[in-house]
Amino acid sequence: MKGWLVPLLYDRAVRLLWLVPLASVGLFTLVSLAPIDPVQAYVGARVALVGPEQREAIAAVWGLDAPAHERFLVWAGNALSGDLGDSITFNAPVTQVIADRFPASLTLVGAAFLFSFAAGTALGLIAAATRGRWPDRIIRGVAVVLAASPGFWIALLLIAIFAVGLGLLPACCAAPPGLTAAEVGLADRLQHLVLPVVAVSVVGISPLILHTRQRLVAFLDSPAGSHLAAHGAGRVWLAFGPGLRHALGPALTVHLAGAGELFGGSVLAETVFAWPGLGQATVQAALGADAPLLMGIALATLLFVFIGNLLADVAARVLDPRLRPEARHD
Amino acid sequence: MKYIPLAAIALSLAAVQPVPAEARSLVLAVGGEPDAGFDPIMGWGRYGNPLFQATLLRRGAGLELEGDLATFWELSEDRLTWRIVLREDARFSDGTALTAEDVAFTFNTARDAGGLADLSVLAQARATGPNTVELHLRQPRITFISHLASLGIVPASAYGETYSREPLGAGPFRMVEWREGEQLVVEPNPHWHGGASPFERVSFVFGGEETNLSLARTGEAHLVAVPPIQADWAPAGMRVLHVETVDNRGVMFPMVPDEGQTTDAGHPIGNDVTADPAIRRAVNLALDREALVQLALAGHGRPAYGPADGLPWDNPAGYLPGADPIAAAAVLEAAGWQDANGDGIVERGDLRAEFTIVYPASDSTRQALALGAAQQLQAIGIDAKPSGRSWDEIEVMMHANAVVFGWGAHDPLEIYSLYHSSNAGLGWVNTGFYSNPTVDAYLEAAEAANSFEASLPMWQAAQWDGSTGFGARGDAAWAWLVNLEHSYWVSECLDTGASQIHPHGHGFPITWNLQDWRWTCQ
Repeated sequence: MKGWLVPLLYDRAVRLLWLVPLASVGLFTLVSLAPIDPVQAYVGARVALVGPEQREAIAAVWGLDAPAHERFLVWAGNALSGDLGDSITFNAPVTQVIADRFPASLTLVGAAFLFSFAAGTALGLIAAATRGRWPDRIIRGVAVVLAASPGFWIALLLIAIFAVGLGLLPACCAAPPGLTAAEVGLADRLQHLVLPVVAVSVVGISPLILHTRQRLVAFLDSPAGSHLAAHGAGRVWLAFGPGLRHALGPALTVHLAGAGELFGGSVLAETVFAWPGLGQATVQAALGADAPLLMGIALATLLFVFIGNLLADVAARVLDPRLRPEARHD
Repeated sequence: MKYIPLAAIALSLAAVQPVPAEARSLVLAVGGEPDAGFDPIMGWGRYGNPLFQATLLRRGAGLELEGDLATFWELSEDRLTWRIVLREDARFSDGTALTAEDVAFTFNTARDAGGLADLSVLAQARATGPNTVELHLRQPRITFISHLASLGIVPASAYGETYSREPLGAGPFRMVEWREGEQLVVEPNPHWHGGASPFERVSFVFGGEETNLSLARTGEAHLVAVPPIQADWAPAGMRVLHVETVDNRGVMFPMVPDEGQTTDAGHPIGNDVTADPAIRRAVNLALDREALVQLALAGHGRPAYGPADGLPWDNPAGYLPGADPIAAAAVLEAAGWQDANGDGIVERGDLRAEFTIVYPASDSTRQALALGAAQQLQAIGIDAKPSGRSWDEIEVMMHANAVVFGWGAHDPLEIYSLYHSSNAGLGWVNTGFYSNPTVDAYLEAAEAANSFEASLPMWQAAQWDGSTGFGARGDAAWAWLVNLEHSYWVSECLDTGASQIHPHGHGFPITWNLQDWRWTCQ
């Protein structure tokens, strides 16, 4: 069996054990300190039509009349038994809100993850292989521009060009307007996935390009790389052959560690593309100071990022034997 | 054999006559997704069309009250009991009959639910027969009739935890599918008592402003809400529809002098300059609201003179015309405000005519209004300083500084909330501590009226009764600036019928008469 896997998992489990309570307390403190009155946010523009008695009734229904520390203890007690409370914004259990929206987000973030990994790594390798020449310059230029561009601006640009201008791809949503889920075919779904995935991928692509390029450049300059080159290995073969093995492990680590950022980028893309995922729900929850939902989403995201990092560690060790402890003992 | 000629005739007729337009589906992008679902008891359906549920009354194009589920309604002599007779042909979309028990259940449940429908004045709703209901109030309150027109009736037997996501009502539509955050698909309710919609399906796409524009430009939506600034560039095949509203913006004035008082939360109260009626009246006289409409709304709006311009309870006699800096200067001078030191700003004794106009920094329309108004006021020697703040800062400042607020509801209760002295300093309504016993008396008399029609003169008198009122001619408690216009792009083939004056909130209110929309193209 892999001797390094069990200690790694144990180490991470211990970390999770103190991370979750710490994050919960921190998050709840932040949400309680946020200068938004949840009742006011709930009442919104109807403020003149909802009297003070009714406001108290609303606060009582959602348990907002108790002091913050009491609300936290109640929440924490329920959370331990698996009940994350009810969302005031959506008038539904938090677990249900998250479960309803998680698949859409996972599809988007998952596809963006794969796409940006493939595109970022490939572009990085090409850039390194053609170091100093025009493909390298163009790719680096694009990477820097993408890194500096706000995600939602890219999303609007994509819509303007590919949906409105060229009419090639749909402008919004996860399916064509006017059809029920049962009536939407796979081709339609894939077509609607393209622009949002590209928009979300932008966040992850640039660091990956630059990182992969740097790794491969280091390999090409190393004695091993020079040796292979001296034997007549072409640059492109070097890059996609032995170079790939060198670059892939670190690239995957960078990419998995950045999974949280993809998740963050999806918040904006979901708003622009009317994508029915967790990102939209997060925005609503934040605007409404919906503490239980924000806590639920934050914990779900925490787990997501945590698992991303764990996978990164595992993957890096699988791909690069030099990282495994026993390799050093040998 | 006898049927063959008939069939032949039918065939030839079909060939000659235009084929009836196939049943259409309609795609709308007007926002308005209720995050909390479609439960009227928690607040769904207060703006626009409740789609799934029917209400006892409804408001027509001129906001007049018409029967929907109710065929007869009257208020008792003591004004504490509404007696309502229901139509007998109302059915929920599953085919079961809607009875008085359902109505009583809906009102009683809404009273206790702690939702957005404030029914705290309701003592009890009681079914007195299969088709008759009595609603007992704890005190006379004529604005309760708004609940008759906005609270959708839910079925007593099928109401539960999942109702908000699986609504069942006696309204014109029933739900096909709701993909939250994305799209709602509805179809006509075959059991609806009001006739048939020509659309076999209506879909509401929920995206942002940009999504709406894109859907219109790619031809996927038939009606979209658009920001006024972009409204004039409708794509081919669509026309622009501008709808008048009472979605108003105005400047609220602190009405009391600064005597060092603070609210319970420690926020300062009062402003010595705006506490002077001459200042407030001069501001109302000086403001050129047409210019503000051009400046802040690109011309898509109309001047506002009160909180309910053009609604049945509005009183135009209380307006001051505005755009008259000469008259404004005269008012200031008569009250002893003079520019003694020649700095262009008038003073009275040690008091300089200066105050801050606070606006939410996130709202570019209110910013333009504040800046425009401040510039106009310079001309009469009033130094109004625009200041963009966050809503939390505004909450602290709003009892001692002028603030650009926005209101507008199809309910005169809003007037009561804004101007009755019992609401002084309470939440976001009467933040200026306005108090006038005569106005209070009119507002109370309006609430105590024995019919909605009878309450109208009382609401109007509160605005201006010939000698006093909250209107600009009287106490000038506010300087109302503009009413927004809500803009839509509508397919040239879609007839949306008569327009209501829309309330605060752009988008979904356009659907108020969705069941009457027609497709005019073949």
